[in-house]
Amino acid sequence: MSGPSLTALPRTLAKAVLTIIVIGPLYWVTISAFKGREEIIRSTPTLVPETFTLSNFEQLFQATDYPIFLRNSAIVAVGTTVVTLLLSLGAAYGLYRLRVPGGGRIAAAILLSYLIPGTLLIVPLYSMLADLQLIDTYAGLILVNVAFTAPFCTWLLRGFILSVPRDLDEAAAIDGAGPLRTMAQIVLPLLAPGIATVSVYSFVFAWTEFVFASQFVVSSSMQTLPIGLSAIVGQYTVNWGLVMAGTLFTLLPTIVLFAFVGRHFVGGLIAGATK
Amino acid sequence: MAATINRLAATVSRRRQAPSRRRSGREALLGYALVTPIVVVMLLVIALPVVSAVTTSMQDQRVIGSPSSFVGFATYLDVLSDRAFWAALGRSGIWLIANMVVQAVLGFSTALLLQRSGWWSRTARTWVVLPWVVPTVAVAVMWQWMLNTNYGIVYKMLDAVGIDIGSPFGNPAVALGAVILVNSWHWFPLSAVVIYGALATVPTEVIEAAKVDGAGAWRTFTSITLPLIQPILFALGLVGSLWSFNILDSIYLITAGGPAGATTTMPVYVYDTAFSAFRSSRAAAASVLTVAVLVVLALVFARLSRPKEEV
Repeated sequence: MSGPSLTALPRTLAKAVLTIIVIGPLYWVTISAFKGREEIIRSTPTLVPETFTLSNFEQLFQATDYPIFLRNSAIVAVGTTVVTLLLSLGAAYGLYRLRVPGGGRIAAAILLSYLIPGTLLIVPLYSMLADLQLIDTYAGLILVNVAFTAPFCTWLLRGFILSVPRDLDEAAAIDGAGPLRTMAQIVLPLLAPGIATVSVYSFVFAWTEFVFASQFVVSSSMQTLPIGLSAIVGQYTVNWGLVMAGTLFTLLPTIVLFAFVGRHFVGGLIAGATK
Repeated sequence: MAATINRLAATVSRRRQAPSRRRSGREALLGYALVTPIVVVMLLVIALPVVSAVTTSMQDQRVIGSPSSFVGFATYLDVLSDRAFWAALGRSGIWLIANMVVQAVLGFSTALLLQRSGWWSRTARTWVVLPWVVPTVAVAVMWQWMLNTNYGIVYKMLDAVGIDIGSPFGNPAVALGAVILVNSWHWFPLSAVVIYGALATVPTEVIEAAKVDGAGAWRTFTSITLPLIQPILFALGLVGSLWSFNILDSIYLITAGGPAGATTTMPVYVYDTAFSAFRSSRAAAASVLTVAVLVVLALVFARLSRPKEEV
């Protein structure tokens, strides 16, 4: 399909603009992180760093609490990913493969609850976590994150599960495999792309999550990157090279992960939306 | 159509399973065992807090968890007579509509470009999602850096052609618009990818047939493509606006609701009321009212733009 009356020149221009809008900021952050203190504040910005230096990274890891934030974020993100994976695989398998009686209603309720705004929940969630002694713990953050990732991931897995032919189950049953073995040995291995997709989504969600992490964590030694990095920005506001080094390290893990499974992720999203 | 086929397929496969009764009993048992954990988590983290938000909204609680008593709808009346509440609701309206328009335009044009052949479109299908993958805090910091009045590249480039944008996040007149643009940069890839996927579901034969019948590109687009992808656009519009309305992190990390409240949308208002002003009940009442508004808007939206059944 050709766009409405787009001739070649405007189209090339549009491609160029889109490339600059998307890639430009990422390029700029990256090179800023490698510029020296003098170069980064030059009145005429340099498009390629002349003083290629690692000093911003050295300072980031030695003089700031960045390594602690990085560790906290990694723990929370990995924990969220593992728990999300267990919950959403189970739910998706039960709802969309075994089709438990009443499953349609459960699926709808789970999806609907995903649309409830986080701001409505933040006050009561705080009291609940306090009652459970989960304020200022990794477990508390993971629990809350999972409630927001698992429903979407269950829905994402739906498309992947529907694409595994059901004949396989019957063949396995004829060979004498029970439902548990069928799930573990026949269907799960075929869901690898779906599992990768869900892992990336939940990892990135937890890595990025700001609202809950800003209130449910109190001590600075437990803070995750979104809060830690913005604190560093406030503290070192004139040292943009350092701030950019921190930004680069914050966005790198999500981009690297996405580079591995991005295709599956986009495919799963489209399949989920169009099926 | 598709729904009917799915239902038929479901019935057929259920029939095929019928022979072994014991097996289906064991399957159901396993099924419930698998579904239980997510249901428990959702009850604990979503359903219970929703109930507790409603009860808190009818009390006069200040710091979260502090002793409080039942005051009925008094807190609601307080909130409704607070001018800041209405101002925040208005800003949320602007936020919602502006984000939707900017992202729809960007998303649609991007999707149309992604659909073409050639190496640019092929590679772009992967890298165009990058802004969405970048953590919000990084998005916030990177744009503050690029728009910095002293050293920012975007500021300097505009300055070089004679446009002085000043300090967009510090100027109450333009701060909301600036944050909307940054937020749209972060989120437009989602619409682009979903619309691209939707366009790919339109059979090429239908498009070709329209061309043979002499329909121009624009005509084909409006009377063939759009109606065919309308169900997906409807879902994207509904879910996308709910997500967009509830965004707090993009705003908080860039301006924290300032300057002078210029970017205090509803979620920021609720957050500040709970955690800066320490008025939990007020925050709860405000969010219950907001959810009510959202439900009404969603129903109106569904009424106006739901795709016709079984075309």
